[in-house]
Amino acid sequence: MQAMDLPELEDLQPPEYTIMDEFQSLTPLRDYEMDAQALFAESIPDRPLVGPLVPMTSLREEYENGSQVFLKQIDWLISRGYTGVRRTKGDGDCFYRSLAFGYFERILHAPDAELAVMSAISSIESTPPLLEAAGFQPLVFEDFYETFLSLVKRILTPDENGKVLTPAALLEAFNDPEISNSIVVYLRLLTSAQIRADPEISDFLLHPETAEFVETREFCENFVEAMGKEADHPQMQALTQALRVHVVIAYLDGHSRGKEEDPVNFVDLHKAVGTVPEAEPVTLLYRPGHYDLLDTRSEDPMDYYM
Amino acid sequence: MAVSTRRLQKELVEIQKQGTPVGITLLSADDFQTWLFTVQVLGDTIYSGELFALKFRFDGQYPIQPPAVQFVVDEKYQAPVHPHVYSNGHICASILGNEWSPVLSVIAVCVTIQSMLASCKKKERPPDNERYVKHAPENPKKTQFVYHDDTV
Repeated sequence: MQAMDLPELEDLQPPEYTIMDEFQSLTPLRDYEMDAQALFAESIPDRPLVGPLVPMTSLREEYENGSQVFLKQIDWLISRGYTGVRRTKGDGDCFYRSLAFGYFERILHAPDAELAVMSAISSIESTPPLLEAAGFQPLVFEDFYETFLSLVKRILTPDENGKVLTPAALLEAFNDPEISNSIVVYLRLLTSAQIRADPEISDFLLHPETAEFVETREFCENFVEAMGKEADHPQMQALTQALRVHVVIAYLDGHSRGKEEDPVNFVDLHKAVGTVPEAEPVTLLYRPGHYDLLDTRSEDPMDYYM
Repeated sequence: MAVSTRRLQKELVEIQKQGTPVGITLLSADDFQTWLFTVQVLGDTIYSGELFALKFRFDGQYPIQPPAVQFVVDEKYQAPVHPHVYSNGHICASILGNEWSPVLSVIAVCVTIQSMLASCKKKERPPDNERYVKHAPENPKKTQFVYHDDTV
């Protein structure tokens, strides 16, 4: 504050802090070329961490008075069979949470679930040494690791209540903040460890606001490990690599690509063989500042409502 | 058992086994809600000879959310005079707010605050101290600070 030179008669500057009734962190909203209200709905505190599958047409309704390019892109996605969307809370963790949910769904729906679970377990079990190599003490990550691993194991092996992880139980687990956030934390730490282990990625680490280069450690501490910090391309690349998961992102960005027949940009993040052989990639739907899950089903199977 | 309790138990065992870093002493950790430490700034610094106490308060969100951390202000302890420390003990430090990360532990916070004091060259309160202290909530986590300068 530079208020010191001014007479102390009145508050000439607003105070540099806000006293809040409730501690909550909302993703700052930027000025988008879209219906701002629609995105704001994503950051309302009572929105579920991970929502049920809803038809894409419900998303379309939110853009009906907005940009034509968005509508065109949505219609194209629907025509390509992407008839459903699973929305996640816009709390800055949406990329990690959406990816994690998609990762579990792929294992659950794999043609050979047993093989998929075994393969996922062995891949997850290979990650703690990467975290230790990055300098994280087991003390600070083992609880998150256990939560993540035990949820994968529950797909085949009943938990202490005798319940295996059904699709409905998965949705429930991802809306339990303790489980859901623990998994997000583990994925963040894994992302950070992967970035720290890759000397070549440092050329791509930019400050999200100033676009200036940021030193690797500072980037990881400030923009990867801290909850609520949105993922950018380096984080996405690192995580898909560390978790060995094939992710495709459909960019619903309202930018006209000048290609009538192909208006949505699909970015393939990690083409290498994933842990679930021959499985469909996890498909995320990007809208400016937010990630949801894109689906070819428009509603959850019956099990979700049992 | 809640994640917060499990983690704090491990941190406590670690402190009992490994001890605390030089200049930091555990005063009390009778439960998993409130812990107290004393902090001394070592070497030739403007705080030499002074002893401060740090109070940690945890809720079920720890370590996903930061603990509430402040300097104790009572008949025995005073808050250090520092541009980021208000006279009611509240601390304006980004790692206790939007840059908190679950890889930080209680001891890591103590060490960070100790080094924040160690690098300080001039004893002064934040410019808005009086106004802040007048309106501040009891719990510093209810204040959303704007972090200007982490080099002080």
